[in-house]
Amino acid sequence: MTLSPFLWAAGLLPAFEWLQHTYLGDTIRHSAALIATLEIIHLIGLTLLLGTLLMVDLSLLGLGIDRQPVSSVARELNRFTAIGLAIMLMSGPLLLCSEAVKCYKTPAFWVKMALLAMAITFQFTIHRRATLAEPPVERSRATLVAIWSLVLWTGVALAGKGIAIFQPA
Amino acid sequence: MFLLSICQWVDSTRLNTVMRQSNWAFPTLDTVHTLGIVLVAGTIMLVDFRLLGLGLRSVPVVTVVARVVPATLWGFGLMFVTGGLLFSSEAVKMYHSPAFRIKLLLLALAGLNALIFHRTIYRDAASWDPDARVPTRARLAGLLSLVFWIGIIAAGRAIAYAPGYDLG
Repeated sequence: MTLSPFLWAAGLLPAFEWLQHTYLGDTIRHSAALIATLEIIHLIGLTLLLGTLLMVDLSLLGLGIDRQPVSSVARELNRFTAIGLAIMLMSGPLLLCSEAVKCYKTPAFWVKMALLAMAITFQFTIHRRATLAEPPVERSRATLVAIWSLVLWTGVALAGKGIAIFQPA
Repeated sequence: MFLLSICQWVDSTRLNTVMRQSNWAFPTLDTVHTLGIVLVAGTIMLVDFRLLGLGLRSVPVVTVVARVVPATLWGFGLMFVTGGLLFSSEAVKMYHSPAFRIKLLLLALAGLNALIFHRTIYRDAASWDPDARVPTRARLAGLLSLVFWIGIIAAGRAIAYAPGYDLG
């Protein structure tokens, strides 16, 4: 709530109102079937992303797939993580269109966007370097990277659920 | 209407009252339940991809299964306990929900598929040539598993859209 005046000053509310009233926003908002379908696709993207990421991070923690160096697991699975992310990034904005103003007024949405920005940045820089490194990075660093990765992405998922739970007044 | 009377009984228990009176129980359990399903489906998909030859091809099937399935079982435990509690808060409504029935049916099919796979073709998995395609029956089991789990996620989400169900 305390966020809103600042964002209003930043001129974002009109942008969100515009988004919601675009043809796309109107069409999706008025179709429960479309919203349900998009949510399901969004959830399947999350499943792919979190499932593959978990196995890579478990590998970093030394709990992964036997006798497989982290880098070979990561090379195999990064593709699926990226596909999962792509599915989420395509379905997510469409869901946003359908209730842009509500999202604007829901702090959980902004928490999710902030965590998402951090998670994606982390994923394609520090996490990527640590998982693909040969020879492998030292244990303490690998553990730290794996824990941050899991915390950030779980945070994104929890904040996403929070958008549905914490409705604006 | 044996099942209906069970559901009516569940709705009359103290657990049901506690679940309904708490503002936090449902959303919290719902969130953990979703994460549980994501964990189950997200990890079992890796086995399915390996069986279908879409990923992890450099790792033998038995190794993938040995490492992935414990995480799947943890997720399943989480999903089962939270799912049971969520059900207890609105058992009769679930009895009448087509999406819930479809979800249970798909769960049973997914379980049956896994059971048959492990009891039959998977017994010889240790001797499969790591560089060759896995046997067709095992590929079929992988494909069915993918379809069932995607269906379970879809049906689970659809429960929230059943008539008269107000989750927001």
